[in-house]
Amino acid sequence: MSASLLFFLFFALVVLALLLWASRSSKHQFAPDMDVFEALSQSRHCSRLAQILQALRPEDTEYLQQIGQAALMQALRQQRRRIARTYLDCLQEEFETLLEISRALAVMSPEVVGMEEMQRWRLSLAFAANCAFLRWRLRLGLRPFAGFTLLSDMATDIAGQLDTATTRIAEAAVRGSEPSAPGHENIGGR
Amino acid sequence: MLAWRPMVEPLQLRNLAWALTTTVECILFVQLARKKFLNMYPWFSFYVASTILQSAVVAAAYRVYGVSGIWVWKIAWGSQAIVVFLRFQAVVEVTKKILGGYLGIWALARRLLLTVGILVLANSLLFSEGNWYWISLNVERGLELSIGAIIVTLLLFARYYRLPIQRLHSALMVGLCLYSVFFVLNYTLLEKYIQELANFWRFLDILTYLATLLIWLNAVSRYSESAAHAPPTAIPKELYGKLSSELNLRLHHLNQQLNQLLRSEDHRR
Repeated sequence: MSASLLFFLFFALVVLALLLWASRSSKHQFAPDMDVFEALSQSRHCSRLAQILQALRPEDTEYLQQIGQAALMQALRQQRRRIARTYLDCLQEEFETLLEISRALAVMSPEVVGMEEMQRWRLSLAFAANCAFLRWRLRLGLRPFAGFTLLSDMATDIAGQLDTATTRIAEAAVRGSEPSAPGHENIGGR
Repeated sequence: MLAWRPMVEPLQLRNLAWALTTTVECILFVQLARKKFLNMYPWFSFYVASTILQSAVVAAAYRVYGVSGIWVWKIAWGSQAIVVFLRFQAVVEVTKKILGGYLGIWALARRLLLTVGILVLANSLLFSEGNWYWISLNVERGLELSIGAIIVTLLLFARYYRLPIQRLHSALMVGLCLYSVFFVLNYTLLEKYIQELANFWRFLDILTYLATLLIWLNAVSRYSESAAHAPPTAIPKELYGKLSSELNLRLHHLNQQLNQLLRSEDHRR
């Protein structure tokens, strides 16, 4: 088979497959009346990370093993893995919400920055891949606790940073909604 | 669609299919006129009209010069160049209809789609083989693949940004893309391995085109103006700039959490 034949066959089939995939009806639709600030002010799961991580410390299970409660330790570890997966789900949901907001903003904006959009797209791919990877590790029982312990120390910092970021967003929005900006009221959809 | 015509034997079945596609093209054009699409979608209407005219011109050339004359070849390829150009313009027109209401997104998409189109066309020409006799077919194949890639990129782009696409636009784009991709597949397979099955593949080519016409006819017939989506109200670009950066920062933080988690897992091993 020549390179030419392979190239055209492969490319045409890829385009055809993508066409079929892209033509499926989408579950999500752009919501022009999306309330950006309401979505931004929704509770953040990573702000509850510290409490979750506290309950997931590995010392708890190691102690149970030492006193001969191996079965209980296994049960607890399973439960903790389940909690960790739920946490990941929440984290992903939060990420998706932020992505939705950014898409809504891009759609409503008269000018978008290509680099930022590209960066966001790359982030979303990386996040989805990392999330899937972690979820599988948790499912397979590959020491899910160590990373969470490390995250425990980060949690407070990140929550603080996010609060600052939200405040800045609100300030930017207030400045942006000065009378010089027609149509500003639509950002909240109200 | 007439790429095969100068070189084929006038098989009865294929002539029948040709007559059928021309009839459907005429019905489609009448429907376009009835639904007042001639003003709304001028390039697409031109394209449909050009395919009807092309059929008539090539049929007349066959009658005057015979099926294998050099003039028939020139007329067929000359008219085909016009048809492909009009198809490309139709794609641009529908793309504008889909994205034109979103100023920022449209500016970004224009650059992206242009890049994709040029890259695919350049690669297609690079990978093309054959002598000068095949050059017109190679260029057409490159253009068709380019059109297909542009349409798919547009649909993926619209999907990523959750943009609503009218059923009509979706059908027009799917039809244009399907025909382009099947043209590439048909020609690629025909070129190398299955000359002995040429008639069969050429018949498939007509069937693909017929299916495309039926998709368009169905969409145009079912079109109602109420289905059109109102474009969103714009926000100031300064606001987008600020919010966009902040959102990226937050997305980074979330991603960072996962990365840290992954890294710590690796260290423990």
